[in-house]
Amino acid sequence: MVLELKKISKNFGGISALTDVSFTINEGEIFGLIGPNGAGKTTMFNVITNMFPLTSGEISFLGENISGIKPHKITDKGICRTYQNIRLFSQMTVLENVLVGGHSRSKSGVFSSVFRTKFQRKEESVMLENAKELLELVGLSGFEDVVAENLAYGQQRRLEIARALSSSPKLLLLDEPAAGMNETETDDLFTLIKKVQKRGITVLLIEHDMPFVMKLCDRITVLNFGKKLAEGTPDEIQNNQEVIEAYLGTEEDDQIA
Amino acid sequence: MIGEILNPYYLQVASFVMINIILGISIYITLSSGQLSLGNAGFMGIGAYTSALLTIHLGAPIIVGIIAGALVAGILGILIGIPALRLSGVYLAIATLGFGEVIRVIFVNWESVTKGSIGLAGVPHLGRELFNAISGMGFDPDMLGLKNNQVIYLLVLLLLLVINIFLIWFFIRQNKSRVGRAFAAIKMDEKAAESMGINITYYKVLSFTQGAILAGFAGAIYAHVMGYVSPADFAYHRAIEILIFSVFGGSEVIWGAIFGATFMTILPEALRFMSEYRYMIYGTILVLMMAFRPQGIIDFSVLQWFKKGRKSKRGTDNGTGIEKNQ
Amino acid sequence: MLLEQLINGITLGSIYAIVALGFTLVFGVLGIINMAHGEIFMVGAFVGVMVTSVLGLPLWVAFIAAIGVTAILGYLLERVALRPLRGKQGVSHLAPLISTIGISIFLENLSHHIFGAGNKPFRNSFAEIQFQLGSITIYLVQIVIFIISIALMVALSYWLSKTKAGKALRATAENIETASILGVNTKRTITTTVIIASAMGGIAGILVGMAFNSVNPQMGLSMGLKGLAIIILGGMGNVKGAMAGGLILGIAETIMVAYGDSGYRDAVAFIIIIFILLLRPQGIFGKKTAEAGR
Repeated sequence: MVLELKKISKNFGGISALTDVSFTINEGEIFGLIGPNGAGKTTMFNVITNMFPLTSGEISFLGENISGIKPHKITDKGICRTYQNIRLFSQMTVLENVLVGGHSRSKSGVFSSVFRTKFQRKEESVMLENAKELLELVGLSGFEDVVAENLAYGQQRRLEIARALSSSPKLLLLDEPAAGMNETETDDLFTLIKKVQKRGITVLLIEHDMPFVMKLCDRITVLNFGKKLAEGTPDEIQNNQEVIEAYLGTEEDDQIA
Repeated sequence: MIGEILNPYYLQVASFVMINIILGISIYITLSSGQLSLGNAGFMGIGAYTSALLTIHLGAPIIVGIIAGALVAGILGILIGIPALRLSGVYLAIATLGFGEVIRVIFVNWESVTKGSIGLAGVPHLGRELFNAISGMGFDPDMLGLKNNQVIYLLVLLLLLVINIFLIWFFIRQNKSRVGRAFAAIKMDEKAAESMGINITYYKVLSFTQGAILAGFAGAIYAHVMGYVSPADFAYHRAIEILIFSVFGGSEVIWGAIFGATFMTILPEALRFMSEYRYMIYGTILVLMMAFRPQGIIDFSVLQWFKKGRKSKRGTDNGTGIEKNQ
Repeated sequence: MLLEQLINGITLGSIYAIVALGFTLVFGVLGIINMAHGEIFMVGAFVGVMVTSVLGLPLWVAFIAAIGVTAILGYLLERVALRPLRGKQGVSHLAPLISTIGISIFLENLSHHIFGAGNKPFRNSFAEIQFQLGSITIYLVQIVIFIISIALMVALSYWLSKTKAGKALRATAENIETASILGVNTKRTITTTVIIASAMGGIAGILVGMAFNSVNPQMGLSMGLKGLAIIILGGMGNVKGAMAGGLILGIAETIMVAYGDSGYRDAVAFIIIIFILLLRPQGIFGKKTAEAGR
């Protein structure tokens, strides 16, 4: 069990965004989080990474309670995320973005950086190699020196994944990675996420592209109005009457049914 | 020949260029993590008074005074920096401006120690001390055909030049490293930086404190170059002048602050006849820069252009692409 | 004695409040801290000196002249330092702060150049009129200042909440784009705001001249910083908070002078700034929002 959420609730000034949501994610699986807009999916990510403090409940990661730990410490522990509205360091180069991702896996301070100690040079070269390998993985080799904001949209999404992977996470949170992508790009993304899974990284993703989710995920949790509506394999979810009524019923044309 | 070029006045101006470059770097380094501090004039004053008082009253050597000045400013920087971190943008600018004014008011009113608005006179002169030291080693200015005070000013300038080269080297190296990347990440997107595992509190306090130490250091040197200090030297106008260095020269890259400090120190000297319009010109520059070139004269693209020229000559490229960050 | 100090404090505080109202109006609508506001106030005071002491004209002419000149300055400030930055891509939120600092430095040194560094007396027979109430002396000027500041606050509140222009202004403050889509001429609204705020600074300038009989080019800086302290104390963009904050600072300073060390009078405001920002960034009258974290 990688991540275990126990009765998570989050209120914003009296409005509850999440109410008593519980689920567990097993090691090595690709876990989908779906639900209509405003169901609380992104809030869930923000709560897991402690960008927003929990109102009540408990989150444990690899058996350790991580609720209330500072966000940067959570990255240290091995959870890293991407954002729905891409948040790259837009004026840095592609390579620098990935190197920043490796921050929590490196140690050099002011002194060792300025005087380039042996330790620092080794660390930098390992990070550099690692970054180049990740860029290759996401298909951005050769773009190292391009300033991030000049990348195409799909490339920016993939760079954000590389940046997150650079922190060597055990659990990767992807917030709508396929949003705004065309069919070819979505296919590439599918392959990429599968490759990430093969590296032993557990993936939790939010996605609206239903065929994509159903094809990719091992298990899925459906949120509606901040509450858990259903959980199961893609097959079970597609045949769940409640899900079809509450969620799919509102979007009749959706291809999921 | 050499004696004519080394006019004490030029040497003095060049020394001020060096001191102002340190101040320019001090505001730049804090800005490089996305924080605008207008308190650097206050930290400069702390450094200057600390060193002046130590050398005058306790007879401490100048070097001890200068180091103590930088350290006291740095400690105060940490104390101010930690709570001030909760503020960002405009609010931090105002709080630090308020801090600078409080420091100035203390200098004016704590008369038993600071001699009030008259200030402290008789601060040991750095150049004279250096001169005495080398004379003691048997150096005679006549050997080079120079007068004593030429040598005095020359020694100060050379010392400051060495210090500045070291500082520039230091901060370029820092910028190219994990620490510099963390600063830049915080500046560009604080939340994203935090979720990449960067301890924002630590790095913001670090960059704020580095700025404070540099300002305190520059202040201490200023005291020993001028020979006296008064509260007016570290007032609002000084804060604005330091701000100009980086706004005019460029706030994205360290060379911007260096260029700004150099240009803005030499310009008023060159335009002596219009010295009374100096601050009016400063004001105009601030407004025009914000309207037409908010990133300052020197930015990434200007630097890149310089680099290309250099690369085509040497034909080298270290291939990391990280040099953009300096 | 205490009562007299209190009256002095209220007088000073009323003037602070008027300066702060100008700050808060601009901040409320534009989200900008106008660092040049103090210098506009100073120009207003100098116009008063010129009209009454130099030209020997009556006080009401000085008021009209000061309002006129500072209103024009407000218009120029908007055109030169604020409008060029608005809606431009990639302009940092620090840009308006820096460009208004530029205007403030320019104005301070311009008047330094024209009038010299020293204090200019603001001779006025009106300032001599006083009453004796038991053991306390009250100057007519003090009452006038208090009444003007209350009147300005009431008028401003009424204007903001009841008139069409005021509503347009609040809509603009809420969201420039939406207001513009809904047919509010945001450009004109913003210009009006800056002009009104500046004119209020001009009025405060004359009042200070009358109350303290001295005007100098540096007074803008210290008044500007105090105005900032007040809107931070009262909550950014809050009209009643500005008024209350002004009175608190005025009384605190007067008490500092009377019972503490008068040299530290000017530090009171900055210590307030630092403490409020650190302990309660939304101000004592502000609503708790995440705004201050911007």
